[in-house]
Amino acid sequence: MTEPKSPTAVLREGPRALSTEETAEIEGQNLQGIRDVDIDDVIEYVHQGLRQLPDFVTLYKKYLKQRWDVYDLDFTQDRIDWTEKMSEEERASFVGISSGFHHGERQVEIELPVFMIGASEEEKLHIAAQIEDEARHTVFFDRFYREVVGLDGEDMMAVLDKSFPYVQETFVGPFGLLAYQAEELRRNPYDERARVRYGTTYFLWIEGVLALSVMKVTLSYARWRGFLPAYYTGFTATCRDESRHVQGGMRYLQDAVRKDPTMLREIHQTLATILTLSGVASRRVYYEPLGWTEEEVRVLLIQQLRRKLNDVGISLSKELEDMLAMIQPVLAGG
Amino acid sequence: MTAPTFFSPQWAAAVQDVLQAGPDDETRAGKLPEYWAFYEYVRDHYAASWALGVRDLPADLGGGTGYLRIEWAGGKVTDSRVLPDGEPVTATYVLDGAYADWKALYHGYDALRTVMYRKVVLQDGPLLEFFKGIYFFVECLALLASVGTQFPERAD
Repeated sequence: MTEPKSPTAVLREGPRALSTEETAEIEGQNLQGIRDVDIDDVIEYVHQGLRQLPDFVTLYKKYLKQRWDVYDLDFTQDRIDWTEKMSEEERASFVGISSGFHHGERQVEIELPVFMIGASEEEKLHIAAQIEDEARHTVFFDRFYREVVGLDGEDMMAVLDKSFPYVQETFVGPFGLLAYQAEELRRNPYDERARVRYGTTYFLWIEGVLALSVMKVTLSYARWRGFLPAYYTGFTATCRDESRHVQGGMRYLQDAVRKDPTMLREIHQTLATILTLSGVASRRVYYEPLGWTEEEVRVLLIQQLRRKLNDVGISLSKELEDMLAMIQPVLAGG
Repeated sequence: MTAPTFFSPQWAAAVQDVLQAGPDDETRAGKLPEYWAFYEYVRDHYAASWALGVRDLPADLGGGTGYLRIEWAGGKVTDSRVLPDGEPVTATYVLDGAYADWKALYHGYDALRTVMYRKVVLQDGPLLEFFKGIYFFVECLALLASVGTQFPERAD
């Protein structure tokens, strides 16, 4: 049996190309089978789809084959790992990251319906599927917090209330921006410029950069240590769902810029705001118990952004390049 | 001393004082120095005004929608007043929220979630520029909610 890779190995080795068979294996795995898939390969699978962006009907067909039942997961072993095997430092570091997802998944679920109004009929299918995915991811974290971390509550909001103290204050940067952009779209759902700005925050930054980077931190840890099997299974399946969301989102942005090249300015201006906010952290999170350093997480974030932009052919201005060098990780995603 | 009533001139003056003073040491100790350095930078360079609207005001407070207008320049609050009825609502950023949500903020609801859950939303003004100062705005929202305030009986 091969030794599990260290969490940060991919930063040194670089991503590996997936063969057609490996791609088919990731695409076709059921929930039980996905437990054996390497998270680095799933992230690579996201980018493979970016180089030849699928249309929205293809993404919808994939959704029908790839959706999974969040109630099929059994968190019994995860609870044992959490309470008996993981150290206090590991738990503190883990919950400091996963809480951003607990709230992030909820945010991307409730802020997406408004984007559907101005979409094409084909894209509406894809967005409807994505809303269901995000609802399932929200339930996944609700179950994880109840059954593994041990937070209780009468309803989902009560559990969210209890995990909120672990969320960094800077979470309001990208997720507050998304909420206000959704409000802007609610008032003018057919405003294409507002839709592109919204899409930049949601699909490019929150899902394409933050989520994929920070997912990797906890998932690589779980795989490396052999802990939290249901978390690994459900969240790796979530990552595969995200591949459709990121590909659909990049398809939308690419089409918008091809149709009207001045839309690039909306993407740049949105990124300028996001990168301004991303230059600061409100709390120090210690990644070391999970096998990472802050610098490695920063490298991962920048790598994720560059790959998305390169794959869909969006360039950055000099000003944005300079801002990119300053970013701090926001530990959240959706 | 009796706390000023919500949306009274005395309350607007108390808001100005608390925003001017900024966060206390206990609040500052809870976040990284670099976060506060960012806050100070934004505050020092903030040349904008907020019209903070409260919808569904109870009859005791005049009913309808009222606005607190706050002006920032040179790192200071240069104006904080409740706009009289009939005065046009002009500000760099016009925001509003329901009376119940403002009251909840005063009763301990989190300022971050007040923004994230769209309890207070931007109605007018450049959104992307507004968000460059969002950490500053949220800290100010928390400060504003720390002003000892009386709400009228039967106000809900």
